[in-house]
Amino acid sequence: MKEELETANRPDNTAFTQQRLPAWQPMLSAGIVIPGFVLIGLAFIGIGVALFIASQNITVLEKDYTGVEITSDCYKCSNPSDKNCTCKLDFSLSNLFEGPVFFYYGLSNYFQSQRSYGVSKDDYQLSGDLDYFKTPISACSPYQYDANQNPIVPCGSLANSMFNDTFKLYQIVNGTKKLVPFDGKGIAWWTDYNIKYRNPSVTPLKNAFNGTVKPPFWSKPAYELDTSDPSNNGFVNQDFLVWMRRAALPDFRKLYRRITEGDYASGLPAGNYSLEIGYNYPVLSFGGRKKVVFSNVSWMGGKNQFLGIAYLVVGSLCVVMSTVMLIVYAKFKFPEDD
Amino acid sequence: MPSSNLVGNRERQFVVVIGFSLTLYLTDITWEVRANSRHFHKHRRRRSFLCFRWGRYADNVVRSFKYSPLTFLPLTLYEQFQRAANLYFLLMVVMQCVPAISSIPWYTTTIPLVIVLSVRGLKDLANDLVRSLTHPPITFSPSQWKDVCVGDVLRIHKDQIIPADLLLLCSSEPHSLCYVETADIDGETNLKYRQALDATHTEMTSDPTEQTLAAFNGIVLCEEPNSRLYTFRGELHWRGERHPLDSEHILLRGTVLRNTDTAFGMAIYTGSDSKILRNVGQLRVKRTQIEKVLNKVVIGVMLFLLLMALLLAVGSGVFQGRVSSQIEVLSALTRGNSPIYTAFLTYWSYVILLSPAMPMSLYITFEMIHVLHSLFIGWDVEMRGGVERSIPAQARNTSLNEELGQVGHLLSDKTGTLTQNRLLFRQFDLSWNPFSCGGLYLSDQRLVDKLRGQQCTQSRQFLTTLALCHTVMTEWRNGAPVYQAASPDEEALVGAARELGWVFLSRTRDSLTVSELGVKRHYQLLTLLDFTSQRRRMSVLVREPEGGLKLYCKGADIVILERLQKDCPHLESTERALDLFAQSCLRTLCIAERTVSEAKWEEWSKTMAQAAMTTRNHDDMLEQLHDDMERDLKLLGVTAIEDRLQDGVPETISLLRQAGLKVWVLTGDKKETAVNIGYACRLLDPDTRLLEGDELRSNIFTHTHRRKHTDTQRHTFPAGEKSALVLTGPELVNIHYRSKDLENLLIQEPEWGARFMSLAGLCQSVLCCRVTPGQKADVVTLVRKNTASITMAIGDGANDVNMIKTAHIGVGLAGVEGGQAVQNADYALAKFSFLQRLLLVHGRWSYRRIAVFLRYFLYKTCSFALVHIWFGFFNGFSAQSLYENWFIILYTVFYTAMPVECLGIFEQDVSAECSLSWPELYKVGQRQELFNTWLLAATLLHALYTSLVLFFMPLGVFYNSALDYQTMAVTVSIASLFSIILLTRHWTKWSVAAMCVSFGLFFVCTPITHSPKLFEKSPVDYYFPGTHLTSTTNAFPSPVVWFTALLTAWTAVLPSFTILMFDLFSDFPQVHITKHGPVELQKSGFRRGDSHRRSSYAMSQGRGIGRLITSGASRRITFPPVDRRGTLGDNVTLAGQTQSDDAPKNITENGSSK
Repeated sequence: MKEELETANRPDNTAFTQQRLPAWQPMLSAGIVIPGFVLIGLAFIGIGVALFIASQNITVLEKDYTGVEITSDCYKCSNPSDKNCTCKLDFSLSNLFEGPVFFYYGLSNYFQSQRSYGVSKDDYQLSGDLDYFKTPISACSPYQYDANQNPIVPCGSLANSMFNDTFKLYQIVNGTKKLVPFDGKGIAWWTDYNIKYRNPSVTPLKNAFNGTVKPPFWSKPAYELDTSDPSNNGFVNQDFLVWMRRAALPDFRKLYRRITEGDYASGLPAGNYSLEIGYNYPVLSFGGRKKVVFSNVSWMGGKNQFLGIAYLVVGSLCVVMSTVMLIVYAKFKFPEDD
Repeated sequence: MPSSNLVGNRERQFVVVIGFSLTLYLTDITWEVRANSRHFHKHRRRRSFLCFRWGRYADNVVRSFKYSPLTFLPLTLYEQFQRAANLYFLLMVVMQCVPAISSIPWYTTTIPLVIVLSVRGLKDLANDLVRSLTHPPITFSPSQWKDVCVGDVLRIHKDQIIPADLLLLCSSEPHSLCYVETADIDGETNLKYRQALDATHTEMTSDPTEQTLAAFNGIVLCEEPNSRLYTFRGELHWRGERHPLDSEHILLRGTVLRNTDTAFGMAIYTGSDSKILRNVGQLRVKRTQIEKVLNKVVIGVMLFLLLMALLLAVGSGVFQGRVSSQIEVLSALTRGNSPIYTAFLTYWSYVILLSPAMPMSLYITFEMIHVLHSLFIGWDVEMRGGVERSIPAQARNTSLNEELGQVGHLLSDKTGTLTQNRLLFRQFDLSWNPFSCGGLYLSDQRLVDKLRGQQCTQSRQFLTTLALCHTVMTEWRNGAPVYQAASPDEEALVGAARELGWVFLSRTRDSLTVSELGVKRHYQLLTLLDFTSQRRRMSVLVREPEGGLKLYCKGADIVILERLQKDCPHLESTERALDLFAQSCLRTLCIAERTVSEAKWEEWSKTMAQAAMTTRNHDDMLEQLHDDMERDLKLLGVTAIEDRLQDGVPETISLLRQAGLKVWVLTGDKKETAVNIGYACRLLDPDTRLLEGDELRSNIFTHTHRRKHTDTQRHTFPAGEKSALVLTGPELVNIHYRSKDLENLLIQEPEWGARFMSLAGLCQSVLCCRVTPGQKADVVTLVRKNTASITMAIGDGANDVNMIKTAHIGVGLAGVEGGQAVQNADYALAKFSFLQRLLLVHGRWSYRRIAVFLRYFLYKTCSFALVHIWFGFFNGFSAQSLYENWFIILYTVFYTAMPVECLGIFEQDVSAECSLSWPELYKVGQRQELFNTWLLAATLLHALYTSLVLFFMPLGVFYNSALDYQTMAVTVSIASLFSIILLTRHWTKWSVAAMCVSFGLFFVCTPITHSPKLFEKSPVDYYFPGTHLTSTTNAFPSPVVWFTALLTAWTAVLPSFTILMFDLFSDFPQVHITKHGPVELQKSGFRRGDSHRRSSYAMSQGRGIGRLITSGASRRITFPPVDRRGTLGDNVTLAGQTQSDDAPKNITENGSSK
């Protein structure tokens, strides 16, 4: 009490207590604001131009293969009852498609961002915890157990609905089909491959899945996803990882393969190509669309004209605004001149 | 004895009638107190546990603390959950624990809620601890006090504080009178007398032994404890008789017994039942205007969110019915729920998801900023007063700061607030003296020498008058007389006479003893014509020691000057002196004398005796007789008393007036005094027209009758002129209806208040004189009801407590009078002039900071949370969050808290010096320009726009791309953070640091919450592993993310920037005009012929106490009284001397030092 009084009696005279901290206030005078706006506008226009050019330099080839039109080869496969249907998509390139070429599949009107869909997975199970192989968490329901109460691994709707169309690209060289080699390595996020998803440390992997069943939509169990590469199976299968990384919006692409090898390392040469599609994934029931996309990338990633244009628009808006401001300012500053 | 029996019978009948009427009309007389029966009262003692109470009679212990270790937790929780906001957040927590609807996990709300509750609880606890450590003086009581029980008979000695509300039974004085000083209750320093019932007086004083008192077995039936200080209704049942009681029989707790050796009283109300503690009451929870607007807006935002949630829920129902039923993947997830049930669940999920728009941290930050602002007020070196600047300003209520920047009406007490309550006898004019023309300062040594040396009869008589013509009583302390006067003016005059050698020593009923330059002289007091407000003069008729009768008279100049002898010399020079004195705002009195012949006196006293017998026209006859005696006076001189203003009062008032405040003065003093002070402190300009009395009344009528025709109204009311209203308490009551109290009047006739206020709005000021504490509060209520402006009441005494508590903001001056005002005030200052800084600097800053802070805060939370509405359209209205959980929590707590807090703490548009030199800037707050519903609506629209930009700009980039949900979440997060930081305006090194820290925190916390380690621990809570700055990962290094975030943020703030610029330009010319406009403190020039300003003779408030003096009821204090305290066994100990004893000394010391 006494101490408190004493401290209270001592005038505390610092810049903070006396509220005299040195401050810099943006002097919002016309002389700074208008040029400032112009500068920002110009900077944005500059970025916009750079982004736009970068985007323009990217080649994109996008083909819908849903098979809605009768003319399409995939029309025959659009009937969901038709299993193991294959169709092909022909296209020709008049110029070299510069590499490295990225090959995506795209879905639209597909709500991977739906909340209950997104949480319908078992992170513990997917990180290789065998306990959750026996009893998946309830978030996976109704893909938790099958009709016989066998646990589903990987459980949940997200995994169950994994995209399962397959693609093979052939270049038609002198009438013969030449397989374009796909590189399926490293298309998933590093953290997904190394941390988020792990197979149980059981060899062979198949044994870990004893007593479990594959998701109902899957044709093969998880440990047989890639028969060609034993290490690309289970939860660390690249296609599986890519699928499990949810898209934010109902129209999205996912990376399927890269074309980086052999004759095609520098890109796809001009010529005719045929894409052989294992048509399995049904989207027509809900008005969805499937497509394939070939694209190369620049420093800013994939083709994205929106960003460049948006920069240009906002930048120009700033410049326009500063002009208006100048006029308004002049009017207020020299009102007698009118 | 048959005759006495008869009297007794008659009395009894009379009493019965009264008792009947009492029971008829006052049914609430239910409080029963039995004298000397502790047993009866003990088991009815009030006890309490938590918030439950039972029992009737409070004990006399006043606890100033609320919590005990046991009750703290339940009490604090109980109190906190009375706040709607806390309940709402608790509801959110509960809802988040329901898995079916929990769109974000439970800890997002629980952690902040726990923090808020514990911070608030600890703050309350700390306040409580401080309160219990620093007992306010009123609750300070010696240890014996706690033993006092209702019904006890107590003995009180001179100068003791009365420990409970007592019924006065008898006292050592004649007629069982006793004097109390009520300074601690109503701030009036003059003594008041109380008188015991005749019945108890005769019984007890005849045999005043302890046995009689111990045997006293009366029963008091009275009203329940209440806060009415000036009324008391009850009756004493004793020996089969009923004696009605009123407030004249009651000694209130907290008053001090003066000039009375001993008084005996019976405790009626003790402890928290006593009137003074009832009056202190609970500090009303004051809510600021900003808070009210904020609450409205919060409710508005809530409703908007609920509506949005509803629409989104409908969307989700439709989505399930129309879209997801087609998608096998999704339809399986509905688990057979109907779309309506899904919509129902989604509704609650969205309510939770959108709730961060109205986060708890708003309230906690708001409170924190309030506390800091309060600390700034306390820290301000320039608001320290007292000796060696030891008294800091103090913000006792920490939640009103912003309102300090919006005050429209300042209602000030006069005595002790504007004035120092120290009267100085500054000048006097002896008109015959050629050297004194224009008045001499009292300190002028020449004068003192001259007076002492010169044997001029007139100057002697002048001083004799000062020493004789008064109602002052002396009390001897340490061998020196201490004067106790009914009015401070008298005290000053008598003190001045003492300094010049005419020492008033003592008085008896019929004599006065004065030491004139060391020679002791006894004057026989023949009659005393006392002061009344009509007469405005007082006279004494004395027989001089040499024989010969003299009438000495002092009074207001107008009154005296018209009673002078014809062809009185020096009239012109006196007039000149009066003008001169008035110009310097001194209160003047004319001093005159008259020689009266014995024959005249005999005749007069005979007529007087006859007049006393008649009952018809008694007052008129007396008036005439007085008039007859007080004529043909010979002017002796003029005195000038300075009612010293506090330091810097005129400058402060003039500054505040420039700042657009209406300053009203509410005083218990006389009208003349108030007007005089009004001029002195530049509240009134010299050419201000005063509207008072009938003129005021008619103006109120015409004003309202012609309100519809504003043109004609301009004619009737002199709006062009400067004018001020002057009204008195009684006028206030009678001005329209003869209603008993103002409150009733205002309730019955609300239009009256509106009329009055609209008239007052045209005037520069209003002076309310002779108002009681209750009326002061009523005036405040009047202003509050009829205007939208914020009222601030400032006062220093207990009589201002009511007003201080009623006003939006109460300011107490840490001054002389007990400190009661401070105890009840929201702010405590050492000086009136500190209001300048408190209002114009701290208040203005606080208002600005808090207004900007709140807008900024709402903007940041709404813009951030509303994104989910738009995202809903792209995730099937499934209440999917666009942010990571931890970002939602940390966004308000860490990432954006600091820039916002810096703004709320450091923002200064102009420096303190500028604020003081351009008081016009203050009007921004009065007009609520920075925080009103429209601005808030604009802010919310801006937030809505920002949320649109925050979502759709990234949408454009991410649509149909390979970028995933996590990347988008991070992008939107960065963008919203950018946009918040771009809006920072005031850049101190602190805010720059805060910004850096915020960014730093974001870049530190994000990798932590996104770290693989934590993911392994709990994949559900940390589901975004992998957003690193390191090259191995994906989201952060991607230039698209950064470009998108930058563009989004800039687009989001673009409109606000643009509007700011345009505002700046359009305001440009005006701002500069007001800023560079010359600010002059007007020097009030005096105009001749203004009669108002001269006759400002002020005496005590009511009638003088001459009646008591001459009736002999008062005990003579002719000799130094023997201190008998030690000889008597006490049940009440000495409670310490009050400071007011020193007051007369101060005056005289001051007088002599000049």
